[in-house]
Formats: sequence, structure tokens, C-alpha cells
Amino acid sequence: MSLNHGVPVCELRGIQMRFSGPRGKVQRVLEDIRLDVRPEEILSIIGPNGSGKSTLLRILSGLLEPSQGEVRFHGERLEGLNPGVAMVFQSFAIYPWMTVEENVRVVLRARELPESEVRERAHQAIRKVGLEGFEEAFPRELSRGTKQRVGVARALAVDPEILVMDEPFSQVDALTAEALRAEILDIWADKERNPSAIVMVSQSIREALLMGDRVAVLSGSPGTLRTIVDVPLPRPRDSRSQEFMKLVDHLHDIITSAELPDVLVTAPVPSAASQEDQVEPLPMVQSADILGLLEFLETQIGASDLFLVASHTHVPFEKVITTVKAAEMLDLVDTPKRAVLLTPLGKRFVNANMDDRKDLWRAQLLELRLFRVVRDMMDLEDGELPKEALLQELATRLPMEDPEQTFETIVAWGRFGELFAYREERGVLTPE
Amino acid sequence: MIHRLLDTVWGQATNLLTAPIRHRRWIDLLVLAALVGTLAALWLVGHQWTSVQRPTVEISLSVWALPQYLLLSLIRAIAAYVISLAFTLVVAYWAAKDPRAERVLVPILDILQSVPLLAFLPGVLLLMLTLFPRSNIGLELSAILLLVTCQAWNMAFSFYQSLKTLPKDLEETAGLYGFTWLQKLRWLEIPFATPGLVWNSMVSVANSWFFLMSAEAFKAGDKNFQLPGVGSYMYTAVEQGNARAQVYAILTMLALVVLLDQLVWRPVVAWSQRFQVDENAEVDPGDNWLLRFMRRSRLLRWLEVKRNQRLHQRRPRPVLLRRAEEGFKRPGRLGPWFATSAMVGMLALLALGGLSVVRLLADVSPSQWLHLLKAGGASLSRVLLSTFLATLWTLPVGLWIGMSPKWSRRLQSVVQVAAAFPSSLIFASLILVFQGLGIGLGASCVLLMVLSTQWYLLFNIIAGAQTIPADLREASRAYRLSLWRRCWTLYFPAVFPFLVTGWVTATGGAWNASIITEIVTAKHQTLRTFGLGAEVVMATDQGSMPHLAASALLMAGIVVLFNRLVWGPLYRLAETRYALNR
Repeated sequence: MSLNHGVPVCELRGIQMRFSGPRGKVQRVLEDIRLDVRPEEILSIIGPNGSGKSTLLRILSGLLEPSQGEVRFHGERLEGLNPGVAMVFQSFAIYPWMTVEENVRVVLRARELPESEVRERAHQAIRKVGLEGFEEAFPRELSRGTKQRVGVARALAVDPEILVMDEPFSQVDALTAEALRAEILDIWADKERNPSAIVMVSQSIREALLMGDRVAVLSGSPGTLRTIVDVPLPRPRDSRSQEFMKLVDHLHDIITSAELPDVLVTAPVPSAASQEDQVEPLPMVQSADILGLLEFLETQIGASDLFLVASHTHVPFEKVITTVKAAEMLDLVDTPKRAVLLTPLGKRFVNANMDDRKDLWRAQLLELRLFRVVRDMMDLEDGELPKEALLQELATRLPMEDPEQTFETIVAWGRFGELFAYREERGVLTPE
Repeated sequence: MIHRLLDTVWGQATNLLTAPIRHRRWIDLLVLAALVGTLAALWLVGHQWTSVQRPTVEISLSVWALPQYLLLSLIRAIAAYVISLAFTLVVAYWAAKDPRAERVLVPILDILQSVPLLAFLPGVLLLMLTLFPRSNIGLELSAILLLVTCQAWNMAFSFYQSLKTLPKDLEETAGLYGFTWLQKLRWLEIPFATPGLVWNSMVSVANSWFFLMSAEAFKAGDKNFQLPGVGSYMYTAVEQGNARAQVYAILTMLALVVLLDQLVWRPVVAWSQRFQVDENAEVDPGDNWLLRFMRRSRLLRWLEVKRNQRLHQRRPRPVLLRRAEEGFKRPGRLGPWFATSAMVGMLALLALGGLSVVRLLADVSPSQWLHLLKAGGASLSRVLLSTFLATLWTLPVGLWIGMSPKWSRRLQSVVQVAAAFPSSLIFASLILVFQGLGIGLGASCVLLMVLSTQWYLLFNIIAGAQTIPADLREASRAYRLSLWRRCWTLYFPAVFPFLVTGWVTATGGAWNASIITEIVTAKHQTLRTFGLGAEVVMATDQGSMPHLAASALLMAGIVVLFNRLVWGPLYRLAETRYALNR
């Protein structure tokens, strides 16, 4: 077990990230992140969609420059690319027109190494990930798992001090992912060579705990660093051991309390909009997903647990959370702690026929301020509300959200409740 | 390199390498013969170009002169292609990387690739003639430049679009691993752009055959300018009414198009498939005999080994290149300075050109404008009528071919060759035939437009029909929709986006055709009908620059307006409502 007391390899200090979106709107992605990458450690990063995990990695590697704050590499402020970082991409990002070998060699050639060293190091990296015999193959001939091996070999070839991985196993099948994880751990455990540290963004709590010495939990939009959990378990780790399960539970609780607080806290909206202009941000969920959730709860006699829902329905945890959030907004479910319960209204809804469901849905929508605003705007515009007008309204009322996405959700929910219709070709909302 | 690449493209490497191959020797002999032939051809061209001034060239109508003419025409097209490619790499790269240049260049490229270039050829030629003394090389250069103007725009536009749509993750790797701009261009950007560039190269070269006759044989006022080539051969044959020579020229051209298709485009397209990023994209390289053949040659393999050895003995890189690279890499140095001066130069040129055109147009009277507008209306109605007629037959036939895998395999290459054959070459001959049948020139024009543009439509409709998902077809059969209903509920909507693309290219081609067909000199007589194309040609004949500029600009204006007002909205409709992949 490593003792992580060394001086950090890389430090993130007060990182803020803003993107200016269309219409000159500024979107805040990361808020005041302070995080160290220590030598000899694996740091996992988890968090829901939109919490800026990938952005954080790109700032760490120097691909993006933070709007505020600084990245330090061995104590020195980073200008431009991080010299110690190599990255493994979620989508592999290997060049389809080059063979496996050329894909690895090309990054070494970019470093102006002599050709003999290029060949030698490429060969070693390829051997390390077990791709010998595949040197002459083109990516299109390879499975997803093998492609990601090429991605790993390419990253290892440049001998990085920090190996950065952006959801590296989310696009390969479960078995291959298991094997790749073990191999990465083996490579990392070989202390003779780099990488010294691994930073990995993950979608699954289990994966984050299997790999990481520490797990950083990001939450919300914009992303903030919620907490960092130490994982003091020896490797190899058994995901069925009691200690492991306890950590899984612990992380679940952290995420749940961050995403679905028992006390309803309205998101702070730091904008010119006054208090009464505030509307609730909509979780980007299809009505069919909410229906599915309710139907599932009905089969569980009206009560379940967030993580049971995720594991039973094979829906990613992040999506379950957003769906539950949406259902809660409509008063169809209640979420004390990690439990998910059908409310009496939710029960009536599930048992109703389609017409009654739509009536209930419509009534619940009009409980939301946002939909009342849409309805009022439509009345003002004589029953034909142009998309552009609503987008502008959304941009001022929900400065943190992407108006296009919110608009799509509004349309989807409104259509299901027969509250209004949207004519795409003319771009207008009309009352049903 | 070449071998490995060919092998893996086909995925048959081991297969072929282990197979006993006995006929390697004669293959090498053939490769050698081809090399010698190329050298001889180059010598011939050098001889022709450097020979002393020959203001008028006598074109021999003998069959035996044809191979030589063919070669000269081919070299002209190749030279133009090389220039176009260089232009593409420089200008499109500039437009993609410099936002200021982008704002100026992209609209220009977009307009240039859509207007009927034939209307501008006479103007450019007259300009070139005043620039160059009347020597062979001057005429040659102007012909090549003309061919460049009909090749470069769509290639540049395609390269620009590829640069702009480079997948984000690939681009990030280049940043992460510290590629220089040159390395990024070589390893990332050019490979990614290759499939699009190859496709547009095919279109461009086919285009240059279409314009060949206008580039090689040209009449301004009482002066006749001719360069030895297939285009001028045909021109002379038509003028003298020599039917046999016309047939020879047509057969030669057909042979050239087929040969290019087999020897150049098919292997190149098959090879370019390896640069396809989208693995699900339709890959149908088919079986290519030339690739198989080349792979067997021991000579080529030896050359390739030599080349690899040379490549891997790393030389120190030229200092100049390295400096230039560093200059571009470091912000605030050479790069921006260079871009700014280039920008200023371009704007100055544009201003100058605009000014001279305005000065020319001042001489055109309102009544002349009215006359030209009427002529434009006449030509527009012919263009639309011809597109309508072509749609009538290509829609059912294209659907039928596209939905039958067997026939689309067989016929696609035929259609491709037919589309590449320059119909402009046979316009004059056909007009004479039509006249013999008692069809007026106005009607003949429409027929010839159909003839030259129907292939674009057919091609696109076949491609569209091939994308109709099998499940939708099965569903419509399972619910027993009648053929008529199936057409209206599935087939027509599904091919609609492709149909719109076809219409845009077809009308573009028809406008070009209007210039060649509305006025024809054949058998020592001149036939003409009322139309904007005829106005362009007559203005050139009379050497009246204001008239020429007015009619050419009017034609471009009609096309651009039509694109914006009609095809643009249709495109959007196709993208939002009838796109199958959303």
C-alpha cells in the first residue's frame, strides 16, 4: 500500500471554467476546484453528467486553459500543454488511416526522437498492452477493446508521469473492461517505469473504487468538488468484500445527498433576474423515462432504493438520479434518504388510464412555474409562441442551463400532457 | 508503404502473399514499359510547348493525329489539376485557420463553385490573351488556367469543410502530443480530408473534359485561337462537317474516360476508403484488377523498400523549414504577420476587380439590360424544363436501380462513366441531327440539357434509393401498400434530400450547357436561338467586354438567387423533415 505523502506531481488551484455559449451566454462548468495529483497514486473522479469531469481532465492536461486559477506541475505554473501527461480517450481517438504501430510511432515522431528509439519504444508499448501480432492491423479490423489497447499503448509510449483516462472503459464490453482494468493496474504497479500517477474519470462507482486510491466526487452544474474519499483497501480488491460494499454505500450516500437533498434547496441563481422571475431548472428527462420509473416502482410495491432501481433496470445511475429528480419535481415520487417512494398522486397516476394520466400530468406541469410562464407567453403572443422568443426567455431566466435542451424538455413534457403542440417546421408552440 | 497499404485495405494480404504467383516477370516488364511511355510523352509535350510561335494551328483530322492530341489534352488537364490541388491546400487551409480570411473566402468559394463558369471563360481568356504575348506557351497557360477555374473551387470547398469538421478527439490528440502544424496537416488533416478530396477530384477532372473544347478552341472576333488537342479536333471536325472525324473524337474521349475510371479513379477511391473515419459508411470498393496487378509487381516492391530505407534514415531537417514551422507555432510572430499581409493583398485584388467590373457595367444601357433579362428568362425556362424532364425518367429508373442490389452493382459504374463523359463534345453534332429531324434549336437545347444533366440526377437518386432502410421497405410491403402509395409514403420522401442535391448540380450543368447549345457553329453556318447563353457567346465574338460582363454576371446572379431562394429552402426541408438518419 502506498503512502501518499509525497509532494504533489500536479496541483489544481482555484480552477474555474466558463464557456461562452451561443447568444453570448456564459456557461459555468467548473467552480473553484482544488485538487492534487500525488505521486504513486490512482485518483478516480466521479460525478453526474455536466459536472465537468472531462473538462477538468482537459485542464489538467493543458488542452484547455482555465478561466481562473492555475495548474501547477512539480510546483511550477503550467503554460500550455502539460509535459507529464498522456491521455486515453473515451472514444479511443486513434487514427483510422494508420496501423496500430504507426498510431503509436506517430506521437513519438512528433517528439523528434531518433527513428531507432521511435521503433524501440513503440515496440515496447505495444508489447506492454499485449498487442504484439497486431502491429500491421488497421483500427477498423479491431474490436473496441483492442482499439482502446492501442489508445493505452500510445499513451504509455511517451512515458508520461501522469496517465489521464477519460471514461476509458465505457465503450467496451464489461468483460473486456474488467481485463483492461487489471492490466492497467499491473502496468502501474511496475514501479520501475512511469506512469507514476493515474487520473481516471469514471462513470461507475464500482470502477472508481476498484481502481482508485482516492475518489474525488464532483457534483452539480457547475461542477464543484464535493469531497474526496480515501480508499484504504489493499489490491487486488474484491468488489464483494464487506469493506468494499461499505465504501460503495458511502459513496452512494454522498452522491444522493448532493443530487437529491432531503431539504429542498433552490439552486442559487446569481443573475440580474429578480427573485420572482426565478423558475426551476428542468432535469433533461423524457416523459417516457418518468413513466418507466413509476411503473417499475409499482412492481416494487411503491418503494425502492435508488441503487436498486439502477441495478434492476440496467439504467446508468446518473440517469436514474435525473429521472427521480424529475418525478420528484412533479410530486409523483418522494425520496427520503436513498429510498424512492411513490406518492399517493404517483400511485393514482400509475393506475390511471391514458387519458387520466395526461390530465394528471398536465395539472402537475402547471404546478411548475416554468410551464405557467410558457403558457402565459403563449397567450400574450396570440397562441403562437415562436421558439426564438422562448429561448431568449429561458436564457435570462435559467442562465445556468442550456436553453436548447431545456426547450426540448419543455416540448417533450408539454406534448405528453397535451398542454401545447410544437410545429418544428415553423418553429412555433401552439396551444393544443 | 504502398504495398502494405493496398494489402490491408483489402484485408487479403496473407491470402495473396502466400498464393504462388508465377507471372511476376511480365508484370514488371509492363510496369517498365509504362515508365518509358511516360517519359516519351513528356518529351513530346516539352517539344510542343517550347516550339516557336504558331498563331494558328492547323488541326489535322487524321485518326493518327488523335493519340498525340489526346496526350496533349490530358497533360493540360493534369497540369491544371496539380495547380488546383496546390490552390486547394493553400487557400482552404488559410480559410479554415484564419477567421478573418474565412469570412471573405468561404462565400467567394461557395459562389464560384455554383455559378456557370462557362459564362466567365471568354472573359478570362480575353484577359489572358492581353497578358501573354501570342506564343504557344502563353496560349497553353491560358488554357490550363481556364481548366483550373473549373476544377479548383469544389476541391477547395471540400478540403475546407473537412478541416472544419475534424473530429474533436483526434484534434485533441494532436494538441496533447505536441504536433507541429505541419505534422498535424500530414498525419491528421490531409488523411481525414482524403475521401472528400478524392471524390471532388473525380468531379473536377470530369468537369475539365466538359470545358475542354471551349478551352482549346476559341474564337474572339475574327481571330481563331486553337491549341492542338481533342477539343480542338472535335471543334474543327464539326466546323468542317466531317462526320467520321467526329466519331473518332467521341470514341477517343470515351476511351479516355473509361481508362481513367479503371486505371485511376477506381484504385484511388478504393485506397481512399482507408481514410474513412466512419466505419459504418458504405464501403464498396469492389474488386479492383489494377490494385491486384500492381501488388504483384516485384519492381514496385523494390522501389518501395528503397523508399522506406531512405525515409527511416533520419536526416536533419532543413533549417528553413524548421524556422518557418517555429514561426507559425509561436503566436505573435511570423504566422499572423504573413496572414495579415495576404489578407490585405486579397482585399486589394478584390477591390480592383470589383472596380473594373463596375466601370465596364456603366456602359450597358437600360434597354440592353431589359433585353438580357428577357434572354435570361428564356434560358431559365429551358433549364427548368430540362430538369423537370430529366427528373421524370430518372426518378423511377433510379429508384429501381438503387433498390435492386444486383442492378446497382452492374449499372453504377456505367452511370459513373456516362456522367464523366463530356456531353459538350457531342452537342454540335447532335444539333445537326435534330435539325435534320425538323426539331427547332430551342427544343434541341432543352433535349441537350437533359442529355448532359440527367446523369447527375440518376446518380443521386440511385445513391438515395440505396439508403432506404430495409425495415421501412419491408414494413410497407407487410402492410400491403400499393406501389403508388409506397412511392408517395416512402420512396419519394426517402430520396428527396438526394433529389435536391441532384437538382442543384443538374441545373448548374444545364446553365453551362445553355452557353454551348444556344449558339452553334457547324458546317460553316451559325445557328442561334434567343437566350442568355447565346448573348454571352455573341458578346465574346464581337469582343464587347461590357456586354459580356453584363450577361455573365446576370447569369451568375440568376443562379445564385435561385440557389438562395429555391434550393436553399428545399435543402432545409430535406434536412429537417426527410432526413433518414436523424
